[in-house]
Amino acid sequence: METIYDQIKEFLDKGETVAVATIVSTRGSTPREVGAKMVVTAWGEILGTIGGGCGEADVRREAIEAIRSRKPRIVRVDLLDDISSDSPAVCGGIMNVFIDPWWKERAQEAAPGGK
Amino acid sequence: MIEFAEELIRLKREGAAAVLATVIEAPEDGAVNPGEKCLIREGAIAQNTVRHEALLKSIVDEAAKCLREERSRTVSLEVPGVKGKVEVFFEVIPSPPKLIAVGAGHIAVPLVKMAKILDYHVTVLDDRVLFANRERFPDADEILVGDMAATLKDIPMTPTTYIVLITRGHKYDEPCLRELLHSPVKYIGMIGSKRRIKACFQRFKEEEKIAEEVIQRVHAPIGLDINTETPEEIALSILAEIIKVRRGGAAQSLSGH
Repeated sequence: METIYDQIKEFLDKGETVAVATIVSTRGSTPREVGAKMVVTAWGEILGTIGGGCGEADVRREAIEAIRSRKPRIVRVDLLDDISSDSPAVCGGIMNVFIDPWWKERAQEAAPGGK
Repeated sequence: MIEFAEELIRLKREGAAAVLATVIEAPEDGAVNPGEKCLIREGAIAQNTVRHEALLKSIVDEAAKCLREERSRTVSLEVPGVKGKVEVFFEVIPSPPKLIAVGAGHIAVPLVKMAKILDYHVTVLDDRVLFANRERFPDADEILVGDMAATLKDIPMTPTTYIVLITRGHKYDEPCLRELLHSPVKYIGMIGSKRRIKACFQRFKEEEKIAEEVIQRVHAPIGLDINTETPEEIALSILAEIIKVRRGGAAQSLSGH
């Protein structure tokens, strides 16, 4: 069974940095549940989904930035657009997405004496 | 991070339960940094980049709680020596739920079919090979034939195990129940009329000094209150009750809890 971690490992093995974006909390109605995740590559390719639509585009943009800077961040995705609008962001909720850059040697860099 | 990815791949393949805890927010003094993480497998730390010892201890404790409730969530932790809040996201990676049907009679047949649709790992157990066989249960993951109570004793029970006692009589249910009352299983349901169950529990309390709260673990009569008539409907009400116990719904059970 191929999991999202098999795909992450493939990128890390090739020496690439990817961003793992996970929904860490929600309020109101959101398209996916806490724990749902997607992976964004340095070129903006997306694997998995956290619900699609506008929110995902914002997360993708921030993810590319997180890969570049190698700094994790939290993005708040607002899905509170007017119900009559054409926007897909009308679910009515808010979700916080944690974007975490993963690269092969990162663990060592975070070890004591690191920074 | 490759070690985390490898361990996550391994434990998903093995069906082991785990919790991946990640610091997502921390004060800027640098004592703790966002992105530090810890992977806890069966209560033990499998991978870790969290440097702060007190934080690590809180994470391990909280992870056990999240795993028990089978719910991923963000928790604000207060850590001695760290000014300000540390937000940690706990991602629960549950092992697939396991359903054991004890008794391979007429309810077990639709129960096993439906449980497979719901993606449970399903075991059927009976002491009669005439009932517990592949022809009757083509979908079951495992079919066991043997003394039911003795066989149950040998099966490892976990907090993601769900037991459905539907043997052909209380003579068989009771010894099974005795094996299960102190096990860590998530759910024990037992079929039977209110009157018979009351008599059974009374005996348990008086003769065997089993505490009330232990007996309270048993869902009997089994299932949700939906006025079932056929074996298929009973199977559905049992699985609906199991989903309720697993996910935490508010529907009314026949047992009243």
